[in-house]
Amino acid sequence: MSDFIIDFIVYSVLLLVLIFTIGIIYDRIRGKKWSDSSEDREEGLNRFIQGWRQRIYDLRKSWKIFRRSALAIIGLMLIITVSTISIFADDIAVEHPYRNLQDTEDLWWIDNEPRREAPFSEACDWHEQRIDIFGIKTKGYSQYVTAVSDPVRDENGSLTPFPLEIIEIKFMEDELGYELNNSLIVRHNETTFFVTDDALNVSSSSIYLTFEFQNEDMHHWWLPDGHDVCIMGTTHTGQDLFSKILYGSRVSLKIGITVAFLTVALGTIIGSISGYYGGIIDEVIMRMTDVFFAVPGLILAMAFVAALSGTTSLTMAMSSVVFLLLLFLFISLRGVISELVTGEGTDSNIITKLQTELRGLDKELQLLSKNEQKSILPLSYLTLQVSLLLFRARKILFGFIVTLFFFFSWHGGGIWPTGIGMELEKSLILVIMIFLFILITVFDKNISEGVPKKLIFDRASESFEFGNPYRFLALRTILIFVSVVLLIFVTGSSESDFILIQDFDRLWKIQAALILTGWPGYARLIRGQVLYIREMTFVEAAKSVGAPDGRIMFRHILPSAWAPLLVAFTLDIGGTILSASGLSFIGLGAEPGTSEWGILVADGRRFFPGSWWLVTFPGLAILVTTLGFNLLGDGLRDIVDPKNKR
Amino acid sequence: MKLQEFIVRRLILLIPVIMGVSIFTFAIAQIIPADPAAALCGEKCGVMGSNGLTAYESNVIRLGLDKPVWQQYLIYVTNLLDGNWGESVTFHRPVIEKLKDAAPITLEMSFLSLAMGFPMGISLGIFSAVWQDKLFDQFVRFVAIAFVSLPIFWLAMMFQYILGTQVGICDPITQALPLVPDTDGGCFPIYGRHDPTYTFPDTGTGFHLIDSWIVDEPTKFNPLTNQYEVSMSHSDMFFDTLKHLFLPCFTLAIASTGGLLRYMRASLLEVMNEDYVRTARAKGISETRVILVHAVRNALVPIVTILGFSIGGAIGGAVLTETIFAFPGMGKTAVDAIVYLDFSMIMGVTLVTAIIFLLSNLLVDISYAIVDPRVRLE
Repeated sequence: MSDFIIDFIVYSVLLLVLIFTIGIIYDRIRGKKWSDSSEDREEGLNRFIQGWRQRIYDLRKSWKIFRRSALAIIGLMLIITVSTISIFADDIAVEHPYRNLQDTEDLWWIDNEPRREAPFSEACDWHEQRIDIFGIKTKGYSQYVTAVSDPVRDENGSLTPFPLEIIEIKFMEDELGYELNNSLIVRHNETTFFVTDDALNVSSSSIYLTFEFQNEDMHHWWLPDGHDVCIMGTTHTGQDLFSKILYGSRVSLKIGITVAFLTVALGTIIGSISGYYGGIIDEVIMRMTDVFFAVPGLILAMAFVAALSGTTSLTMAMSSVVFLLLLFLFISLRGVISELVTGEGTDSNIITKLQTELRGLDKELQLLSKNEQKSILPLSYLTLQVSLLLFRARKILFGFIVTLFFFFSWHGGGIWPTGIGMELEKSLILVIMIFLFILITVFDKNISEGVPKKLIFDRASESFEFGNPYRFLALRTILIFVSVVLLIFVTGSSESDFILIQDFDRLWKIQAALILTGWPGYARLIRGQVLYIREMTFVEAAKSVGAPDGRIMFRHILPSAWAPLLVAFTLDIGGTILSASGLSFIGLGAEPGTSEWGILVADGRRFFPGSWWLVTFPGLAILVTTLGFNLLGDGLRDIVDPKNKR
Repeated sequence: MKLQEFIVRRLILLIPVIMGVSIFTFAIAQIIPADPAAALCGEKCGVMGSNGLTAYESNVIRLGLDKPVWQQYLIYVTNLLDGNWGESVTFHRPVIEKLKDAAPITLEMSFLSLAMGFPMGISLGIFSAVWQDKLFDQFVRFVAIAFVSLPIFWLAMMFQYILGTQVGICDPITQALPLVPDTDGGCFPIYGRHDPTYTFPDTGTGFHLIDSWIVDEPTKFNPLTNQYEVSMSHSDMFFDTLKHLFLPCFTLAIASTGGLLRYMRASLLEVMNEDYVRTARAKGISETRVILVHAVRNALVPIVTILGFSIGGAIGGAVLTETIFAFPGMGKTAVDAIVYLDFSMIMGVTLVTAIIFLLSNLLVDISYAIVDPRVRLE
């Protein structure tokens, strides 16, 4: 986790330095000086301060409403606690999983620590070791045996045991579980036993020795003596339950947030299409949601899991889904983009304008002689021709760029040939991302406002004027920057903890099933909102000015519909964690043994009424996390409620 | 619009949805990697039949798998209408028979749980709305959210532990048999539909609460008197079934209480601002009467629609409780079917739950139209 933060900072600093260097060099080439834009800078600073003041004021107002509800505060505290725990799980937990080299899932080594020990049990400091009497017998004399732990997988992937410091021998058993006399094996010094001659007469070939060892690592430093060992007991495979639950919080939060986020995205897109266009599209989509609503959620999710059982990798499926999403975004935004690029009018306006200019040129050309034609042709005629072509093909170009970015960034999916090294790939992604970033900045209205309305390259050059850095501090630009860095990071490194879409991980079936089950709810919610807002006067005004559909949708309607969406999103995180753990519990999700809460409960169920802690604590963890999100969602509803806007 | 017309319209609207669900289940069966033809013949797939085809090939032809997809869908729908829902590989019997056995179990559980949860939710909602923003209201709101956040499977196991295995909470004479080793038994049995000491006659409707009054009483041979004697009377069977149903239903009831409570509270708060409540107060009617007669009755009307959704929630939740309490209902069937990729069973369960859910929603809508005639006008 801390690696992630460091990497994130490094990536963003690198990107920032790169962008600013390009900008400053570009300014120098054009002969612009820092002092030239001092007025502009002052103006930018003022605007920046004003904008943030307004934002802080709004936030304070919301906080005042939020603060009134004690329940919402409790919810917020719970979520902060759970997320802190998940971030610092490495530091709080006393036992740690190892990383499998093939995939990114945490795995737990099955060890011979005492199994299913009750909370606060002393036996947690005990260790069972197999001593091979048969081997000693064949040698014919007694010898010393070192006390060692279970083999632990090291960085190279090989298994090595490490020596333990013995405190006291507790008991010993033979192969059949009969207790043996304590004098057969004596403690020699801190790390070795001495096998006495009497032990050689034991009929079994090995002895299982249980001893207490110096186990400071397994103690919680923040608890008083005597209560600092396995505070939630140990599991049926001998691991510390508390540590497993801590690591489980990462899994659950990841599932909850990714699923809720993707569900919202899918539902919003489908719902807004349905509500905005209406007619037959609306009818078809609504009948589809009817079908989805007709089957109870859990059974529907189970059916989806079953349908996905043949798929071993989600890379292609997910890639197509994300690709479609992006494509949809670009196609809907094409109106906005074209308007921003050329300053005014819709597509057809621009094309006719270019065409008339071309025709004028043609006429001029016909008047001239052939030699004169040649001298003029390369410059103005070709530029116009190319720009017309580019403008007409911009949709395809965008699609191409997006596809390129998309397939470049995909790791381990088998799409990219293996011969090309990781570093090259990474740098390519970086270049493409910067290119995309430039495009986004160019098309950002806030940045490009007031720039002479010419063609694309003019705009680009103007927006690379770095005399006034404050203009880059608008919230939207910062958000875009952060998301770009995140994208580079998430898609570009295979060691990352935060791989959201790289074959998801083993739980991807649940995640995919929950996304497929969840979108109709959002689609209906957003459709209702869109239907309501569509009739408002400001939308009508935007339409009468001639704003394209995409612009109305993204700039006017959706920003007004975010409030119920946010509440639903928060509540859905809790709901997702619940359903995911339910699916894991019935054996459709994570593999047995992983530190997912639902699986922990399912594993504990086999020993249930006897070892109650195996079920109780993971379930409590689910309850606390879900409760936190639900309480927070309830509090947010109060903020969003227009009755409270005073 | 007349009521009959409304009902007919709603019934017609149901048809495309059910068709959509059948398309959906068919699509899932297409995606599932299991080969139905191979699953039916098992090890004998290579055996030559009398017609010169292997068992596998004749299965392919019989199931119509060599035809285009849309024809397969038509075959599937005609088979559904004929009552031929396929053969379950997991249970070694026709899907429709298994579903006929399983559906009443889930329905019994869901309805009983709603019967438990509804009064709880409504009464708590009323108190919460009446004492709005008081300490009790805050507490109840917290409880509502907590109930929604409870993992059902965990809650069920906690009940098993506390009410099913702990001694001393209940009267030791009435406590159930110690089914679980290491425990002495608790107030309620924690597994199964009835006591394992007798077999419940399966000649009735499948709803054991009803069956216990109409089927023949199970008999037992008594060697002392040398004749068969009644081992369980009708009421014994009824109370035994009720006792076994209590824990799973109580779990589901708690899960549905949260939602009902919140809706009831909101609905009642809205009604309390209406003019007729003010009029009633102005007339000098006592506050209790105003709330119970004027407000609550009107507030209950929209709650009826929530009931329809609660049934869906209860059926979904039954998947988990049935697994834990070992009830062979539809949820347990679905879980078993998915583990073995028994696609015809999965299709069957999905379709039946959808039909049950839609029909119960239809019933709810009709009753809503009866209670509130304004609905019919839309």
